[in-house]
Amino acid sequence: MNILEGKITDIKTHGSVSLVTLLMGSVYFNTIIIETSDSASYLRKEHVVKVIFKETEVIIGKNQNYPISVQNKISGALLDIENGILISKLTIDTAIGKIIAIITTDAAKDLQLHVGQHVIAMIKTTEIMLSP
Amino acid sequence: MMDWQPLVLTFKLAAITTALLLIIAIPIAYWLAHTKSQIKPILETLVSMPLVLPPTVLGFYLLVVFSPANPVGNWLDEHLGLQLIFSFEGLIFASILYSLPFMVHPIQAGFSNLSSSLTEASYVLGKSKSTTLFKVLLPNIKPSLLTGIVLAFAHTIGEFGVVLMIGGNIPGKTKVASIAIYDEVEALNYDIANWYSLILFVIAFIILLMVYLINGGYLKRFWK
Amino acid sequence: MIQIALQKKLTAPHGSMLLDIDININKGSLVTLYGDSGAGKTSILRMISGLLQADKGRITVNQKTWLDTNKGIVLKPQQRKIGYVFQDYGLFPNMTVKQNLLYALEKDQSNHTVSELIDIIELGDLQERKPEKLSGGQKQRVALARALVRKPEILMLDEPLSALDNKMRAKLQDYILKVHKQYNLTTLLISHEISEVIKMSDQVFIIENGKINKQGNPIEVFTTKQMSGKFQFSGEIVQIEQEDVIYIVTILIGINFVKIVAEENEVATLAIGDKVIVASKAFNPLLQKID
Repeated sequence: MNILEGKITDIKTHGSVSLVTLLMGSVYFNTIIIETSDSASYLRKEHVVKVIFKETEVIIGKNQNYPISVQNKISGALLDIENGILISKLTIDTAIGKIIAIITTDAAKDLQLHVGQHVIAMIKTTEIMLSP
Repeated sequence: MMDWQPLVLTFKLAAITTALLLIIAIPIAYWLAHTKSQIKPILETLVSMPLVLPPTVLGFYLLVVFSPANPVGNWLDEHLGLQLIFSFEGLIFASILYSLPFMVHPIQAGFSNLSSSLTEASYVLGKSKSTTLFKVLLPNIKPSLLTGIVLAFAHTIGEFGVVLMIGGNIPGKTKVASIAIYDEVEALNYDIANWYSLILFVIAFIILLMVYLINGGYLKRFWK
Repeated sequence: MIQIALQKKLTAPHGSMLLDIDININKGSLVTLYGDSGAGKTSILRMISGLLQADKGRITVNQKTWLDTNKGIVLKPQQRKIGYVFQDYGLFPNMTVKQNLLYALEKDQSNHTVSELIDIIELGDLQERKPEKLSGGQKQRVALARALVRKPEILMLDEPLSALDNKMRAKLQDYILKVHKQYNLTTLLISHEISEVIKMSDQVFIIENGKINKQGNPIEVFTTKQMSGKFQFSGEIVQIEQEDVIYIVTILIGINFVKIVAEENEVATLAIGDKVIVASKAFNPLLQKID
């Protein structure tokens, strides 16, 4: 589990679904959750919450400017690469903390990743959970 | 000639004693099985006394207490018209005391072996104590009740000392089979004594056999 | 609304202990008492039912006072409208299944209630059998049906499912939930299975040494970190295997095994036998209808 911290800056609610905007260091993350300010007491503007997502849900890119539907992006330097036979584990040092990404070893090879390289970690809006 | 009267009297005595004992023993056994009272050991001891006491001791004290010279015996005679000395009623009273443990013990054990949740389940279903006793508890200790009945009956048939002390030897009133045997032997009528003895022997055997068959579960299919 | 305040000095396995609770239960809710054995759960049920006397206390059930030691009011078990399922079932061995149910009828109640319960709890094939001829799960169902005949204001179940295997347990949980809803019962259940508590109850009271330690919605109570993930289950870790640079953790949830991919740092905090919450977002799981 990647657990980071973020401050809630905006909550848009429709029915029981909310789109929550969080300030993470200097970048904004968005997450969509089935929870409202009524059902979850931590869902308040200015509250600092934990931002949780699984390592396997992190997408790695090399180019910041490639058009993509994933809204949550953060850049960082590759701190460590652990290559397995099929699966590899990447540790990325970002401004908001270390993020671990688990991707296939083939993908890691295709991207020609090496330690120290700058990459972009991306997480889909629907993959982020919040916790007080 | 063998006289059937003592045998008839014996079974009449045993039947009445057993019936009364059943009525008396159920509440005593129920109380003993459930109470946490401190006087429980004392009552248990009293109930068990006839097991170890020579029957003549019991008979002797009953004789003393119920004699018209004693205030208790006098009071019973004057107010209730009961003469317990040398009478059939006195024999019943003495037999009840004498056979009490044989009726109380199996029933008490039966109650104790029942899970307390049976009683509690009945209470929370809104049923009174007496409904619970008659509909739930007693039907579930049938083998214990039967054991008590059979043992008390058999034990009453076999008594001698108590009967002799308090009942004397009045034909048709207090002369039961065990005394008749003694009488006939005294009179050297071994033949008649033998008949009485043989009949008692066979009956006692059959009765006890029943108890063991029931306790061993051999008769379970006939007793449901 | 049911208000229960009870105090009693109990002799526990390790010396004496003061049971002291004060709880409110909403009508129509299913509430569990969760805690270690000897914490006082059964004593609480027994005091509510009147089988055990409280030293001090007050019980009001829908405006009726069942117990008020200050005013000297102590209703007998017979006068409290309760259904109680005992740990050892407490079925009457001398009666058939149907007779057990009929026995529970009140004087002016019609037999219809019994036949309805036999239908709902599916006892039709068993109704002529004596309890000794029933399996544990069947006895449990009979005890449940019998407890419902009187239309109780509170249904209490003392660890009803602990003696059953997982499959039977899941089935009986469903029966209990079914009758709870159908008869709009207020139900009090003792359990020491977190998954059971979460599946069954609206509210849980965690009892420790005779006191309420925690209370509330089961997931909130058992989840230290309340997460927004809507796909949540609690289960027990049965296996942890390393595969490449990741780990695969097998978790038993109810009667199902699930496998979850975990990362080294997470696995370091986990051991076989640990109770865990498995959470995902409601966006991820796929649904496929079974024909």
